[in-house]
Amino acid sequence: MLRATIDADVFREAVDAVAALVSECRLHIDGGGMRTRAVDTANVAMVSLELAPDAFEVFEASERALGIDVTKLKNIVGTVNRGEKLMLSVPEGGQRLNLAFQSYQYSLTLLDPNTIRKDPNAPALELPGRVVLEGARLTNAIKAASVVSDKIALGIDPEARAFFMEAEGDTDNIRFALGSDEVESLSDVRARSLFSLDYLKDMAKAMSRASTVEIGIGIDHPVRFTFEIANGKGRVVYLLAPRIEAD
Amino acid sequence: MTGGMLCASCKGRGFCGLARCPITARFHSRIGSAPVSSYMGAAPSVFVGSHGYPAVQGGPLLLDDTDRPPDWLARGLSIEDVVNLRAGTISARAPVGRVQGAMAEVALSQKPVDVEVAFSRPVDFDLRFDGVLTPVGRSGPVRRLDVLDNPVVPRAVERVSSDTDLPASEGLTELYRYEVDVYHLADLLAAGTLGKAPRVVPTRWAITAVDDTLGRARKREIVRYPAIEEVLVFGATLYGNTIAVLLAPGGWQYEMVECWRAHSLWTHDHDSVTVDSEGKRKSGYSPIAGAYYSARLAVTDYLALVRRQARALVLRSVSGEYWAPLGTWVVREAARQAMRSPPERFATLAEGAAALDQLYGDASWREKSTLLPRMRAERTLSDFF
Repeated sequence: MLRATIDADVFREAVDAVAALVSECRLHIDGGGMRTRAVDTANVAMVSLELAPDAFEVFEASERALGIDVTKLKNIVGTVNRGEKLMLSVPEGGQRLNLAFQSYQYSLTLLDPNTIRKDPNAPALELPGRVVLEGARLTNAIKAASVVSDKIALGIDPEARAFFMEAEGDTDNIRFALGSDEVESLSDVRARSLFSLDYLKDMAKAMSRASTVEIGIGIDHPVRFTFEIANGKGRVVYLLAPRIEAD
Repeated sequence: MTGGMLCASCKGRGFCGLARCPITARFHSRIGSAPVSSYMGAAPSVFVGSHGYPAVQGGPLLLDDTDRPPDWLARGLSIEDVVNLRAGTISARAPVGRVQGAMAEVALSQKPVDVEVAFSRPVDFDLRFDGVLTPVGRSGPVRRLDVLDNPVVPRAVERVSSDTDLPASEGLTELYRYEVDVYHLADLLAAGTLGKAPRVVPTRWAITAVDDTLGRARKREIVRYPAIEEVLVFGATLYGNTIAVLLAPGGWQYEMVECWRAHSLWTHDHDSVTVDSEGKRKSGYSPIAGAYYSARLAVTDYLALVRRQARALVLRSVSGEYWAPLGTWVVREAARQAMRSPPERFATLAEGAAALDQLYGDASWREKSTLLPRMRAERTLSDFF
C-alpha cells in the first residue's frame, strides 16, 4: 500500500535521475521511504535513489517492491506543471500506480518485479580520491569535453592540489582544472580514471541542479557521484565503470 | 582511378565521372537472344531506375522466376546461374505515371503475376551490373501493358498498403513482423504502395531504405534487452563473400569493416578497406553503401530473436571468386546464413578476435577497427565488485 503527496518538481528530479540510466526498476517502499537501485543493461553504470518520508508532505507505505516502467513514469511526471502537488497511491495488493495532479488521474500499470533485473548488491568500493564541487561546474565541464571526444579522464593531481578533467579527441583536446580553493573540498591523493562520455552526459543532466556533488575516484577504478535531492531529504548515487586503455 | 579506393565505395555509381563504369562494363557481354517485340508471361517483381529522379522510369520486371534470392540459394544456383537468369530479364520501362497501377499489382502480389507487354521497339540484349542492385538484363520501352492475372495479396499487405494514415516506415516494420520478407517489402516500397503520400522509389534506394528502416526499428527494440554474457563468433561464406560477426557483451554498438581483396572485383593489386560504425544513432549514408545496412539487419534480427543486445563487429572479406557483382542481397543472405549457424563461444574478447582473424583470413582488420580497441578498454561494474 502506498499513499503519498509530494511536490511535483521534487519527484520529477528523482525520476529523471533514475531514467538517465534505466528504463525499468524495482521501487522499494516501506515506512522508511522510497528506495531503488538499478544497473543499466550493459552493466556499466548504476544508480541508487533514496527518498526519506519527510521528502513527502504525506507518506504512508507498507513494505512492497513495485515494478516501475521508468520511461513511462518520466513522461507522465514531465507533464505536471511546476509547483503542483502530485498524489501517488497504490492500493493494498493493487497492480497500478495512481498519479493524481491538477484534474488529471493517471493510472500506470505496474510491471511484475520478478521480470526486472535483480537489485545489484551494495558495492563496497575503496575510492580514496574525494572532491566536492558545484553540480553545474561538473556538468559544464562534461558538456565541454563531449565537443572534442567520447571519453574523459577525471583525476586529482596532489602536487598541484587540483581536480582535473581532460578529454582527448583525434585532433583536439581540452583540459579543465580546479584548484583546491575553487572546490569545496579536495583530498590529496593521486587519482585518474577514464570514462565514457555517453554515460556521463546522461548523468550530468541530473547532477546539474545539485548544489554540491561529491565525487569519489581512484586509479583505473569506477567513479562515484553522490548528491542530494529534495532539499536534502533524498540522495542519488551514480557509479560508472571506467575504460582502461591497454598500453 | 580504377582499382583505387574510390571504386570499392562507388561500386559502379559513376563517382569517377566516366559515362560507363569500366569494371562493370567487363561483364557487359553481348552474346544472346534475338530481339523481341512483345512479352507474355510472369512478372515476379518491379524495377524502377534512379536515372533522372524524380522523373524516373520503371515497370514490372519480366522473368519466369520467383526473383527471390533465398529461393535461388535453396536451389543452389552458382554466380553464373544467377547472372544467366538475370540476363534473361526484361525490365518493362515507361514513365512511372503510366504504369504505376500495373506495378502496384505486381508488387502487392506474393506470387508472380502474368502480364502482357508490347514494346514500342524490339528489345535487344543488354546486361547491367551495379553494387547494390541485382543485375538487370534488357530494358524494354512499353507501348502497352496489361495485367492478365489477379495478384495474390497477403492479408497484412492488403491492410497496410490501403492504410493511407500509416507512414511508410511504420508500414514496413509492421509487415516485417508479419514475416513479409525484405525482398517483397522493397518491391512494395519501390512501386509506391506504402505510406501517407505513396511515391514510386528507385529500386536501388528502396532496397537500402527497407534494410535501414527495419534495422533502426530492431535497434530501438534491442536496446531494452540485457547484454549477452559471452563473446560469440559467427561466420559464413557465400560466392566468395565471407561474413564474420563478433558479438560481445555491452550496450548496442555496430561496426562493419569491408575489405575487397587484391585482384577482386573493384580492386587491382592491393586490398581496399572501408570502415563505418554507429552507436545509438547513425547519421549520414554509410560509405560501405547497401551492404552496411543489410548486414546490420541480419545482426539485429538475431539479437531481437534471443532478446539480447550486444556490441557487434561485422567483417566482410570479398575474394576474387566473387567475379560478378550480384547485388546487396548476397551480403544480406551471407549475414543471415552466418547468424543462423551455431556460434563459437568464447570467454574473452581476445579469443573471439582471434577467431575473427581465422574467418577473415588475416588480422589486418584490427588496425582499421575502432570498436575493438574501445571494447578492450571498457570495464563493467562486475569487474570491481
